[in-house]
Amino acid sequence: MSNDTTATNHHDGHAPADHTAAAHDAAHGAHAPAEEKGVFKTLMDDNLGDHHELNIFFVHAKVLPVILVDDGMHVYANVDAMEASGEYTMHHHGHGHHIVRAHAEHTEAQPCPLGDPSPSLDLSVTNFVAYEWIAMAICTVLFMIARGRYRANPTAAPKGIQNVLESIVLYVKEQIVAPNVGTTARAHRLMPYILALFFFILTLNLVGLLPGGHAATGALGVTSALALSAFLVVNYIAIKDAGIGSWGKHLLGGAPAFLAPIMVPIEIVSLFTKPFALMIRLFANMTAGHIVLLSLVGLIFFFSQTMGEVVGWGVAPVSVAFSVFIYLLELLVAFLQAYIFSMLTSVFVGLALGEHAHDDHHSHAH
Amino acid sequence: MDNAAFAYLSAGLGVGITVFGVGTGIGRLAAAALEASSRQPENAGDIRTTMIIGAALIEGVALLAGVICILLAVK
Repeated sequence: MSNDTTATNHHDGHAPADHTAAAHDAAHGAHAPAEEKGVFKTLMDDNLGDHHELNIFFVHAKVLPVILVDDGMHVYANVDAMEASGEYTMHHHGHGHHIVRAHAEHTEAQPCPLGDPSPSLDLSVTNFVAYEWIAMAICTVLFMIARGRYRANPTAAPKGIQNVLESIVLYVKEQIVAPNVGTTARAHRLMPYILALFFFILTLNLVGLLPGGHAATGALGVTSALALSAFLVVNYIAIKDAGIGSWGKHLLGGAPAFLAPIMVPIEIVSLFTKPFALMIRLFANMTAGHIVLLSLVGLIFFFSQTMGEVVGWGVAPVSVAFSVFIYLLELLVAFLQAYIFSMLTSVFVGLALGEHAHDDHHSHAH
Repeated sequence: MDNAAFAYLSAGLGVGITVFGVGTGIGRLAAAALEASSRQPENAGDIRTTMIIGAALIEGVALLAGVICILLAVK
């Protein structure tokens, strides 16, 4: 959120409420003179929105490249380099900030003379992308450690992280994938994908629960990419294992042929609503949890601003106690959503195969 | 009341009604699953799995309604 390095501490939750609020307004007044944002709104924008700089805890590190597609590629090392180039500038307004084409006569007060000044496509490595990379790195390192131990000593009893991973992998295989996709051979083929989904979502969710961390699964772009991959995998497996004819016949939904005008559109829509629901479910669950947490913390600021500092201090213990409770609930939700996403993907594979679910893909007659 | 006020009102009411319906639905689902697994504890694992899938699908409807309400509220 911050445009300069002096404003990096403005959402420090550990300072006394009144101090933080005052410091925050001072730090932020420069960016939003027209529409005065409350502490709570800024807190939400900071924690739920995406940034063009890496935000861990209270540090906004400007280390992420900015990549814009707008009459050719524009690549800058970071936001400062972009601003220094004079071609684009960061525009701050009521709902946050975005990159616009730089032009001299534009100020905050008057509307932009160029119409929509945004670049046509912003492919920057943003904060959420960085968090995805962090999650990938964590998963890779953990599994490399486990792999090394299996390589070195295949017959020894697993210990430490290897034990944790082995029990989760076995759980995913035996409880999530195998019962839903029909044959064991297909379960083995699907395991790498479902495991990647499960661990990636779980790690993103858990990293998002670290203090100062951001849950990339609370961004629609991330969940829609995950849902798109699930859509492709489900239909690929269905077409490959059951045959394109059988996949097409599923569009009738088992109804007689004369109902095709009604059934085919419904089934085509249902083809897309399943991954759409996956996308919205993960996004909504993660975002809702964070909004509830932020709202509970925001109550402290709300009461101390409207009813005085003493009331704010009085509300704080209650608010923090509820926050801890919701936080623990969020810990459950982090696991539950990873479980549900991978479970539903497996279920959709089974559904898309229909009566072919129990055929092995090597022996089917199509 | 202008149009924006009606939009906010409908968004709030919509979420309330949605949550009522979905809460009832998931509550009934959980009650049935609990009853079934107490009658047949050996099937508790299967019942729990089926219940979670059902709950997730019911929740999906709630989320769609929630998205519509959010669209109304931010319009």
